[in-house]
Amino acid sequence: MDLAALGDCLGTSSCLIFQTVGGLKIGLLMFLVASGLTLIFGVLGVINFAHGSFYMLGAYLAWQTMALTDNFYLAVLAAALGVGLFGVLFERGFMSRVYRGDVLVQILLCYAFILILDDLVIIVWGEEFLSSLGIPDAFHRPPLFVGGAIVPVFHLFIIGFSTLVAVALWLFMTRTKWGKITRAAEQNPLMVSALGINTSLLFAGIFALGSLLAGLGGALAASERSISSGMGFSVVLESFIVTVIGGMGSIGGAFVAALLIGMTRSFGAIGFPLFTDGLMFVLMCLVLVLRPQGLMGRSGG
Amino acid sequence: MKHETFLKDVAIGIGVVLLLALLFQVITDPGIHDLIIKTCIFGLFALSLNLLVGYLGLVAFGHATGFATGAYVFGLLMQTGTWTIPAAMGVAVVAAAALAAVIGAFCIRAREIYFAFLTLAFQMILYSAIISFVSLTGGDQGLMGGYPKPPFLGIDLSRPFDYYLFVCGVTVICVILLRQVIQSPFGYALRMIRDNHERSYFLGIQVKLYQWIAFVIASALAAVSGVMMSLFVTGAFPNFAYWSMSAEPLFMILLGGMQTFLGPLLGAFILQLLNDLVTEHTRYYGLVLGLVILFFILGLRRGLLDVVWDKVSDRRRKAGTVRPASPVTGDAEARERS
Amino acid sequence: MLKLENVHKAFGGVIAVDHVTLDFAPGSLSAIIGPNGAGKTTLFNLISGRIKPDGGRVVLDGEDIAGVHATEIVRRGIGRAFQVASIFPTLTVSEALTGAVLSHRRRTLTLAGRFHRSGLDERVSEIMTLTGLEAQADTLSANLSHGDQKLLDIALAIALEPKLLLLDEPTAGMGPDERWLMIERVQALWRTGGMTLIFIEHDMDIVFKIAQTIRVLKYGAVLAEGPPAAIRENPEVIEAYLGAPAEETAS
Repeated sequence: MDLAALGDCLGTSSCLIFQTVGGLKIGLLMFLVASGLTLIFGVLGVINFAHGSFYMLGAYLAWQTMALTDNFYLAVLAAALGVGLFGVLFERGFMSRVYRGDVLVQILLCYAFILILDDLVIIVWGEEFLSSLGIPDAFHRPPLFVGGAIVPVFHLFIIGFSTLVAVALWLFMTRTKWGKITRAAEQNPLMVSALGINTSLLFAGIFALGSLLAGLGGALAASERSISSGMGFSVVLESFIVTVIGGMGSIGGAFVAALLIGMTRSFGAIGFPLFTDGLMFVLMCLVLVLRPQGLMGRSGG
Repeated sequence: MKHETFLKDVAIGIGVVLLLALLFQVITDPGIHDLIIKTCIFGLFALSLNLLVGYLGLVAFGHATGFATGAYVFGLLMQTGTWTIPAAMGVAVVAAAALAAVIGAFCIRAREIYFAFLTLAFQMILYSAIISFVSLTGGDQGLMGGYPKPPFLGIDLSRPFDYYLFVCGVTVICVILLRQVIQSPFGYALRMIRDNHERSYFLGIQVKLYQWIAFVIASALAAVSGVMMSLFVTGAFPNFAYWSMSAEPLFMILLGGMQTFLGPLLGAFILQLLNDLVTEHTRYYGLVLGLVILFFILGLRRGLLDVVWDKVSDRRRKAGTVRPASPVTGDAEARERS
Repeated sequence: MLKLENVHKAFGGVIAVDHVTLDFAPGSLSAIIGPNGAGKTTLFNLISGRIKPDGGRVVLDGEDIAGVHATEIVRRGIGRAFQVASIFPTLTVSEALTGAVLSHRRRTLTLAGRFHRSGLDERVSEIMTLTGLEAQADTLSANLSHGDQKLLDIALAIALEPKLLLLDEPTAGMGPDERWLMIERVQALWRTGGMTLIFIEHDMDIVFKIAQTIRVLKYGAVLAEGPPAAIRENPEVIEAYLGAPAEETAS
């Protein structure tokens, strides 16, 4: 624990700005992945425990596309769409068979996919860690200096892009027909099917969107982190914690919670370098005690 | 349930331990000994989890918390060199039960899948604590350097036969205790809660209290298996607290069958066997295990002993000598009929 | 024995129970009737502690039990059965009743294995005889006929030896013959048990035949109360409810 360092950082604008930008980046990337998890949970009532593996798959697909085309944007796009497609296959082929089963079967199905995907990526791409995608050429430029803090331009891009996705998601949920149906399905799935809406299509669509977000998050994260089998597990747990803090099924809650966790991680790394993971859990426990339904969750969920 | 049943269980238990002792002398292959030891350790681990999953309908995904706490507390006490094995074991189990009492108080409020993942989140707190507090736990290296195993009551656990018999004996005792719990009035209440918790409230059963007690009991038994595991490796490793450690017993339960009391034990045995066989031939153990799991949940849809049990009771039902099904079913199909 | 004083409950903006004041005499047998959505089941939920009232008092033998937890209310002597039989699918009839009797005797926290069986089996078979379930003792609850499931639900409540028994449409979903069989059983239980019984019922023939007192609810409020003869003559009731009995009894 190093509270003095944390105090110093909060007192200097350069450190404050640097850590805030870092926290925003971590938080928004986390939001991309967690919103997928919470979206699927909200509508389908299942937690896709293999969500982290989808994230991993996104990173590998992005790496592969990058290796073939050397185009970062294409790589991210291919990863998002590829994982979205994989999500549909997973939902139609496997998950949809166990909606009526109990929680045990759902967990084990996801467990099986985690094991299989972790080994499959090793078979295809080898056991060695793959290096990160690297940032696109357009962002190979000197960083900005804001209030004495170094702010990499690429981080601003990630922050801006993720925010854009969040806004698009929000617009989709509130302004489009399918978004409204989705929110109705969260409230009352029976009513939606009674209205003659094809729930199979809706479920597959939601799974596709949720998976796409995981793949997108994985691809963007891979721009700066190395890629390896098993990289997804900590991600699914973080996403779950974001979901708990924000409130199950609440996209807005996930947004707030992800930013909160991003900041906790960023500043916690200075104050409690050994216990940044622990801080996240402490935050979760606090929410559970003080507000069990999460920051923006409906009560009784 | 009745006194005679308990005596019968004890008699069978003694018989099993004697048989296993004989087996040790007849078959000298240490690989087989290890297989039996691990089956006992993980079998007890899975059986204790099945108290929650099968008999209470609570899918706990953080069962390794008890296991790891037992192993680490025991290992740390033994490393001081001043503790006897029974005393350290007792403290380890009590510590795990106390931790479960706190975690349970948080998690029991949540329902179903939310409960499952909350227990997992708490387990991962323990995991990151073990990784972080290197000075105490050895971090990702685990508790290294071994510890002395002072003999007690003439039992010297540093001797393979003594350790083997100790594990078999402790497992049998715990299994008998677990069976007592399941067949006690408390066990009745658990099954009622599993079947219909709403109705249980209106019969005066404080559902959450019962769930909490069962959670603590299950965790204490998991700690016993953790202690035995610590003795096996003379230490403790952070992977004891890793998430896969909680996923495996869930699969053991499904594999062996949750309707049948000893199903999870069979599941532990098969999984151990599978582990030995597969790792011999391929390094892609996860791939194979994943496919096996898929086969069981999408193909067979039930555990092995459940299949056998249904076949047997089917035949006996045709003969008119048995009631329609096991009283202790925990599968979704049975619940859907409600 | 049971008094409701100004009990009020709204869900969101919808008033389910509107300042209801009712008094149930000890040992009485009364019916609650009213069109669908009149707040009958909500009233039961408020009495049995499934939900808390927004206002008012629920007084059982002089004690306010409004807001007390359901399990505690059970301990104070209120048992209930549900509109849709609420049973334990994977337990046999005798197992479920054994559990209920054990709970009533506060033995369900006993972990030590041995049952205190004194009189347990006797009590269970007594309840099965009372409810006419003895032939089904070893049948899995899930495999019972609809009528027997309803009976088991009532038997579970009986096992608690309640002072006050709430039955939510005991004859729901039954054919005419089965209905009368059921209601005769209920009447017999009430006579032998010496308890206060309140039941919700749609079948007017049954209500007027067996109830001592009838309460009519409409839009969550008490429209009328009194003996069957008076209710039959009450113009408001005739207009509001009996005027169109065909739809209601059909549902």
